[in-house]
Amino acid sequence: MDSLTWFISGPLLYIAVITFVVVTGKKILYFSSMPRHLRWDLYPVPHQGPEGSKYQKVDFSKLKPQVHLMHELWEMGQEILFIKRAFKNNPKIWKSSFPLHAGIYLCAVWMALVICGAIVELAGIPVYKTSPSTLAVVLYYATILCGVAGAVTGLAGTIGLLWMRYFDEGMRDMADFITYVNLYLMLLVFGSALLAWWNVDPGYNWIRSHTMSLVTLKPVAPDLLIAMEIFWFSVFLLYLPFSRMLHFVAKYYFYHDIMWDDESMKPGSKLEQDVIASLHYKLNWNAPHITSDAAWVDQIPADRKEEDKK
Amino acid sequence: MKKILIKDFGSDDEVLSPLNPEDLLPIPGENLEDIKFKKIKPETLAKYDFSLDGFSALSLPIPQTKEEEEAIVNSFLKGLEKLFVKENNWGFLQPSVLSTEYCMQCNTCNEACPIYVESGRKDIYRPNFRPEVLRRIYKRYFSTSGKLLGKWVGADLELNWRVVYHLAELVYRCTICRRCASVCPIGVDNALLSRELRKIFSQEMGIAPENVHRSGSMQHLRVGSSTGMNPVAFKDSIEFIEDIIEEKIGRRITIPVDKEGADILLIHNAGEYVSWPENPAAFAILFEAAGLNWTLSSDSMGYEGVNYGVWYDDVQFARVALGQIKAAKKLGVKKIVVGECGHATKALVSIADRLAVGDLAIPREGCLPLLESIVTSGKIKFDPSRNNFPVTLHDPCNMVRLMGIISPQRNILKHIMAPGMFREMPNCGVDNYCCGGGSGFAVMNTQNFPNWRDNLASRHKARQVLEAFKDCLDPSIPKYYCAPCSNCKGAARDSLIEHFGFREKYNIIYAGLVELMVNAMVDIPEPFISWEEEF
Repeated sequence: MDSLTWFISGPLLYIAVITFVVVTGKKILYFSSMPRHLRWDLYPVPHQGPEGSKYQKVDFSKLKPQVHLMHELWEMGQEILFIKRAFKNNPKIWKSSFPLHAGIYLCAVWMALVICGAIVELAGIPVYKTSPSTLAVVLYYATILCGVAGAVTGLAGTIGLLWMRYFDEGMRDMADFITYVNLYLMLLVFGSALLAWWNVDPGYNWIRSHTMSLVTLKPVAPDLLIAMEIFWFSVFLLYLPFSRMLHFVAKYYFYHDIMWDDESMKPGSKLEQDVIASLHYKLNWNAPHITSDAAWVDQIPADRKEEDKK
Repeated sequence: MKKILIKDFGSDDEVLSPLNPEDLLPIPGENLEDIKFKKIKPETLAKYDFSLDGFSALSLPIPQTKEEEEAIVNSFLKGLEKLFVKENNWGFLQPSVLSTEYCMQCNTCNEACPIYVESGRKDIYRPNFRPEVLRRIYKRYFSTSGKLLGKWVGADLELNWRVVYHLAELVYRCTICRRCASVCPIGVDNALLSRELRKIFSQEMGIAPENVHRSGSMQHLRVGSSTGMNPVAFKDSIEFIEDIIEEKIGRRITIPVDKEGADILLIHNAGEYVSWPENPAAFAILFEAAGLNWTLSSDSMGYEGVNYGVWYDDVQFARVALGQIKAAKKLGVKKIVVGECGHATKALVSIADRLAVGDLAIPREGCLPLLESIVTSGKIKFDPSRNNFPVTLHDPCNMVRLMGIISPQRNILKHIMAPGMFREMPNCGVDNYCCGGGSGFAVMNTQNFPNWRDNLASRHKARQVLEAFKDCLDPSIPKYYCAPCSNCKGAARDSLIEHFGFREKYNIIYAGLVELMVNAMVDIPEPFISWEEEF
């Protein structure tokens, strides 16, 4: 059993973290390297500020683009932290979705605090309620607060969403099997974390100590419940970049590269070079009105008049 | 109401999800029992597919042999694969991939969709229903996990010709107003996926609505206009508009055509010349009075502002947009201004911006800011008391939610309306609702599709208009529904006026913004707007 718990809590976790980082990184590269698409913005675009769209001005192309960074950050903050759009447009789901996401955020902070605690302990300062360092005491209680609050709110949100998937007709009808897989996985992640905390690790000392062993690349075999907690977290990390739960990455592109992308074409710009390259791609659509295996640039009207008369 | 699940989408029911009049949410004063949908002749039913909801936008011929059925499926799959290849779809690859992969099925978009809500919430009209069909087909046929594990990874829809036909019709039950995208917490754009699916049907399978493709964008490229108006007919119509101006204001204005080096090339939706000539007439009166150096073009790509490609086909979109820009280049104008047409403005000013490379990057603008500058410049004197009747303003999706043009039209109305006469509709600005004519619906008139459009797609707009005028519905009070967009006016004519009978019942007329402006001009002796004659 010890070798199994050691494998789960050591090598498997390393593999999960590396897989998550590599695959997520590859996805980010993939999304970032896609061709610049045609304009498809959606208003309001926050960085345009209180004046709103430049399309409201005569000779807007001669005006310097308005960039109100604070407006954009304010809008992003509301969306990232509070899921503003769901709150505004679907309060029913927000009541469960927000706790789930808040739980994830708190657990992420908890993980950071656990790693900090491990480093502090490696530096010789005990992280405990009676520690001589006030900072270490704060770290100790903050870790407990974030860990417990994160797991409880995350679990509550997950249960709420599962409830809706089973008992709200529309939600049930539109869900596929994977939706349930995702929610049950979240249930296991938050549930196993709470179970380990409640039964064996109320001060997160075990997990902090285990993190120390991970940081020093000398993983040890922890308690079975902690190994279970790590196992479900590892499964979650391994699965996450392949699933639609990676929407937190996609959301960046949805907002910044599509809805809020208002960059205008300027002669000699990088954008222009990119578009010129794309216009030379050869398309192979098959409909009769399209010249297949010709470039986009060769589909323009002057060159197509005779063809169109067919 | 019959429940339709995604996995049942290819069922061979005679009609998968019939839309019946009693399903609709009634608007005030409406008796649903009075609604009669057009009866389809048995020979037509035997020939064409009406099996989605009892309506046909595409006149799809029912396949007669197994081979034909297989050809439909195979052609669709080929097109679907191409949608995710950069060479074939660079213009929308990133938005398509992201929207296909990251919908969390939260249904937030559902209540934002006027068609879904007004249909009595029929499953197939959910804005995430058709994209979900796309996702499950894609997963089933193009992902390793879907091929191996099927429904266990969400790939639970087997493809047959009925799925393809149902989907082809269903993508023409969405106006692509993008209200769904504007409420999605993640930013998933299910409306875009409707458009992307339309591209598969058009660009790969050669399937598109007759009025949008063959007699739409193809005719536009061949003749010069989707109305069929060639350059000679266009010049004739200009003379006719000059006659209208003379009749209306008592003096003749010569409308500049093909004036080289003008500051502005004005491009109208050519439907204005045919259906609402008072609109280009009003533009001419205003531009002349403001002393603008402007022109129209009689080039075969220079007088028609529409770009139907924006609704269904990237190749057609690019051909039209670049043709229009080249026509402006020929005249050597300083900029293009698009008249009162939402999709034309969005297509040419915004979407086509990323096609206008090199010397094609000529400035392009919508007309509303220019009109606002005319009002605020003081070059023309307006008497707001002349517009002493209730007016409400329709926000065309393409100009407002998709371009953020919100304040110019309101500022204009503030200057030209008698106090207290302008009232906003509920859900105005970027939160607006489509007129029901969006994405080509206003021009799609084959089979019984107009029945569906007028009864369902425009229903929420009818509700909004009644709400805006609720304090003055008495027909003795003339009212004006201001729609600064040709397609929105087309929808108003067909649905609000002819179908719902708003003119007869409530004395509501519809027209654009420029007509209201000219009506308030001090220099115009008689009212430009009339409730008595056909306007």
